[in-house]
Amino acid sequence: MSTKKHPLSNQSVSGADKIVQILADQGVDTLFGYSGGAILPVFDAVFRFNQINKHLDGSDALPMVVPANEQGAGFMASGYARASGKPGVVIVTSGPGATNCVTPIRDAMADSIPMIIISGQVSTGAIGTDAFQEAPVNSLMGSIAKHVFLITDPEKLEATVRTAFFIASSGRPGPVVIDIPKDIQNHVSLFEEDSLLDLSGYKDRIEKISKNKISEAQCSEFYDILKDSKKPLIYAGGGSIHANISEELKALCENLNIPIVTTLMGIGIISTEHKNCLNMLGMHGTAYANYAIDDCDVLIAVGSRFDDRVAGDPPEFAPKAKKIIHFDIDPSEINKVKGVDFYFLGDIKQAIADLDQYHNEHNLGLDFSAWLKECQDNKNKYAMNYDRNSSLIQPYAVIEKINALTKGNAIISTGVGQHQMWAAQYASFHRPRLWLTSGSMGTMGFGLPAAIGAQFARPDALVIDIDGDGSIRMNIGELETASSYNLPIKILLLNNLGDGMVMQWQRMFYQSRMSASDKSLRKKDFIKTAQADGFDLALRVTENKELDSALKQFIEHKGPAFLEVLIDPEASVLPMVPPGQSYKHMVTGDFIPNRYKESDKEVNSSAMF
Amino acid sequence: MRNIISILIRNEAGALARVANLFSSRAYNIDSLSVAPTDDQSVSRITLVTFGSQEILDQIIKQTRKLIDVISIIDMTDDDYHEREFALIKIEVGSISNHNLSLLMESYGASILSEKDNFYTIEIIASSEKVDDFIKAITAKIPIDSIVRSGALAIAKGKPLLQKNS
Repeated sequence: MSTKKHPLSNQSVSGADKIVQILADQGVDTLFGYSGGAILPVFDAVFRFNQINKHLDGSDALPMVVPANEQGAGFMASGYARASGKPGVVIVTSGPGATNCVTPIRDAMADSIPMIIISGQVSTGAIGTDAFQEAPVNSLMGSIAKHVFLITDPEKLEATVRTAFFIASSGRPGPVVIDIPKDIQNHVSLFEEDSLLDLSGYKDRIEKISKNKISEAQCSEFYDILKDSKKPLIYAGGGSIHANISEELKALCENLNIPIVTTLMGIGIISTEHKNCLNMLGMHGTAYANYAIDDCDVLIAVGSRFDDRVAGDPPEFAPKAKKIIHFDIDPSEINKVKGVDFYFLGDIKQAIADLDQYHNEHNLGLDFSAWLKECQDNKNKYAMNYDRNSSLIQPYAVIEKINALTKGNAIISTGVGQHQMWAAQYASFHRPRLWLTSGSMGTMGFGLPAAIGAQFARPDALVIDIDGDGSIRMNIGELETASSYNLPIKILLLNNLGDGMVMQWQRMFYQSRMSASDKSLRKKDFIKTAQADGFDLALRVTENKELDSALKQFIEHKGPAFLEVLIDPEASVLPMVPPGQSYKHMVTGDFIPNRYKESDKEVNSSAMF
Repeated sequence: MRNIISILIRNEAGALARVANLFSSRAYNIDSLSVAPTDDQSVSRITLVTFGSQEILDQIIKQTRKLIDVISIIDMTDDDYHEREFALIKIEVGSISNHNLSLLMESYGASILSEKDNFYTIEIIASSEKVDDFIKAITAKIPIDSIVRSGALAIAKGKPLLQKNS
């Protein structure tokens, strides 16, 4: 306990003042929000808080970043949270302010991102009367958030706001919504300093799981499985990023020479250039990662969940694995998709470290270097590749060139679609929290606001939004947010004049009927848009020969920069495992060798999603 | 497989809706749902009857257990338990002979609560299966004019299974 007196100790203040003070007490340093009638008291409290609380450089202690649309604020907070590991905080008004946040909240839930969303609500007496700007936030968010509170008792306000932070960050993280009627924001009462809600049940479960340590017997059981194995493989997902186990996992991999594949959400848990890393698996995984899944005899899932983009055909996923091992923090993921033979629920950071130590202390001397060599050979033999002689600009080449400049150290956010997969496949990431993408929900429009949020979390980092022409349109209003806050973010637009991933599926499964996806006749001039929105550097590249100098200028530019590259409109994301199918059906195209004969099996398009 | 799930849940705004939402979002079945406060007014007990495979039931329990308001949850059908459902049934007086009606009620332990406006209101308290059978036995003879059922309630035999703290 700190002996320092709390600034609001023994003071009677408004609910709005309490909210802002608790945000500050929780270590929040940036707010993302949009004002409106039912949240005015909180915005006023933020203003007054910042009048008396300044950083040494004179800037506000709780800066409020205002987007063009509340959805932008939601994704900014998400980008902030993904880049920093700290909960992102959103403050919006009632009704449309709150409903505009539905998509980012569901997106955060699906990717297990901690967020706090404070929404104003009409006064308690007006709830349920179809009042102006009223929406049933409690029911709407109840279905999509980790939890939602509707505060109807002013005496519970403080405890609720504090407790929301605990819920958002504990166990499997997620977004928590606090719906606060305006009269509660205005209610004046004594500041309590440290009250919390009774969370018996949830808290007991979380404590039990997070205190769970791997036992000697479990370590022994784990290694008994590995002793019978010749080809173990680690399959690490987003949970390993949240659990911050980069060092522990790397040590275990290196110590035993176990190869590792990562999911889209797990990219960066180990450097993508590490000798043990076989990069991303799944629908658009590398051929060599997917072959490793097909060949492994023991699969070790770490913070991953056998999602349908990874295990499209669960019975055929890791078909030779005699045993499946699962490390996670969420009991509901164990045995959900694939039955497991050994699992550990709990503090996976400590568990992986303990396993490594157990191996050393017991001189087990397990060494899978022959298998690792086999995987590394596959990595060379079935390497990612594309048409390097095309006169059209290849998107893969653009990302390789960016990568040559940023060397795996940039924060990269994306929209959703082909450009997202190309970035996942061809960009390098040396650390966790550099790769920010909407994985589970697949929300187009994520990239630009997420980059803005990430830049606030990491002011000194190089932040690049690699986006597509379809995705960037969805939140293009936030261009002006980036330039207004003078954020040096870089936006690389890979323009293929359409919704490329949809078009790829239409080429593959719908006889090239480009229903509503071809945008070659659309009027949008992205360069004029960027210029009008305050980007002083806005370049368009249409020829291969212009690419190198444009990329260099773009990356080296001090302020916000926009680069549009007109890419080959027929470029596909390869490899591709058709949805619902096993890796045996992987299509690799003309430039990546395929050890399986490409499937000529008829694909039933109605069964795919 | 029919399972009875018992849940202790904190009486917060929207808590029941979240349980119902979870079931509809994940396409789990709810056959019946009964909820009322316990001796502690801040805590309600839900008895929920569902059908599904063991895998689905496993997910139902685990996903519901993740809800913040849920204090504890168990599958009652794992153990020995009492099950009771309460039903009120209206039939028209004279649509069946009083003798036959008495026999039927006696064999199911039902009784007449009232006779008014030429209608009998009958009550039965039994397992859901037995209530089903009673309804079938009546409708085999005469139409039922109105019916209301509580949904199954269940409690463990012997020591309590559902803990106030999980």
